[in-house]
Amino acid sequence: MASENGATLKAIADMLADGLETQVEPFPETDKEFAEILLQLRQLDTKDLKAKLVISGFLDHPYGPDRQRCLECMYYLVHRKWCDLPELSVPVEPDWWCRLWRI
Amino acid sequence: MTNLLWLQGGACSGNTMSFLNAEEPSACDLVTDFGINVLWHPSLGLELGENLKKLLNALTSGQMPLDIFVFEGTVVNAPNGTGEWNRFAGRPMKDWVTDLAKVAGYTVAIGDCATYGGIPATAPNPSESQGLQFLKRQQGGYLGTSYRSKAGLPVINIPGCPAHPDWITQIVVAVATGRGAELSLDEFQRPKTFFTSFTQTGCTRNMHFAYKVSATEYGQRKGCLFYDLGCRGPMTHSPCNRILWNRQSSKTRAGMPCMGCTEPEFPFFELAPGTVFKTQTLMGVPKDLPSGVDKAGYVKLTAAAKAASPAWAEEDIFVV
Repeated sequence: MASENGATLKAIADMLADGLETQVEPFPETDKEFAEILLQLRQLDTKDLKAKLVISGFLDHPYGPDRQRCLECMYYLVHRKWCDLPELSVPVEPDWWCRLWRI
Repeated sequence: MTNLLWLQGGACSGNTMSFLNAEEPSACDLVTDFGINVLWHPSLGLELGENLKKLLNALTSGQMPLDIFVFEGTVVNAPNGTGEWNRFAGRPMKDWVTDLAKVAGYTVAIGDCATYGGIPATAPNPSESQGLQFLKRQQGGYLGTSYRSKAGLPVINIPGCPAHPDWITQIVVAVATGRGAELSLDEFQRPKTFFTSFTQTGCTRNMHFAYKVSATEYGQRKGCLFYDLGCRGPMTHSPCNRILWNRQSSKTRAGMPCMGCTEPEFPFFELAPGTVFKTQTLMGVPKDLPSGVDKAGYVKLTAAAKAASPAWAEEDIFVV
């Protein structure tokens, strides 16, 4: 399980490092907009990692003037380095970010 | 003997069901141990038709004393302020409320509808519903701001959807045993003894709240329900995690979010789609923060808590 997560984490990191363009904007300012993104994610094949990253606007660095990052996000499980949002459920690094960030 | 009359306006009978499930004391204990004479109750009253009218008229005329007037449900004013949508014993219920409240030693509003308007008073409020002495946060309601019962108290509000059985019976007992004057009420006229602490007080998920570990699905045994699932426990005044439901549980213990039903604004956000069981956020930060916490403090607290959270906080620690 840990090695599988490690491989997935590396795959995501590589995609982002290679310049994968993701939909960082628009940031979902309201719950309705947030829910719309979740709906898009639910329609994906759960194994379609690339589409997940694109739709959720993944970045491999903190975002914005407040330097928002996974580490402070409510969905982030610190010890597992895991995004626990059911629609994502992927390993992530603490300094990454996506537009589904919430605290 | 203490005479108690219980009537229902715009109600679903939820508080009646709750009352009949009371255990400490039970509805039967009120009669057998505390000398309460239940004159009439929608589920218990024997009188019908003319006999009921006679009873009500005896109370409104002062021929028979009314020590405790309990009202469940909203005061329905529709259509056009007539109250004709909710007729009872030959006249609009609201007219009975007017007359009975005048002669009552104590007037007690049970449940969210009777206290603040609750679900029936949700916009656009087609039944023109009001609580007895409030409409949501606005004091006044049907009886008006200046209303006082014969004992000199405003309406005693016991909110909840439904109110917990023991909140109901314990307040009734306090009144019936001559301790009504000792009841200390908060700004929304709720007995402070029940409504000063928060629903979060005693929540078994407080450790997850502290370490910012979120539950992401209903019924999950790990995680705090505040962050994502719309739990209002940190902002809601109630003893739901101190005086347990069915003596053993609460919504949060069962993995469901508190809906804040003891607060005047319930149901929150007028039940707009997407607002129920979903934490409302603005740019990723909850719109409603725990009482007394500001946004800057909340963000700092989150950063520190996440960084310090122990591994066990992420696991299901309740091993069957």
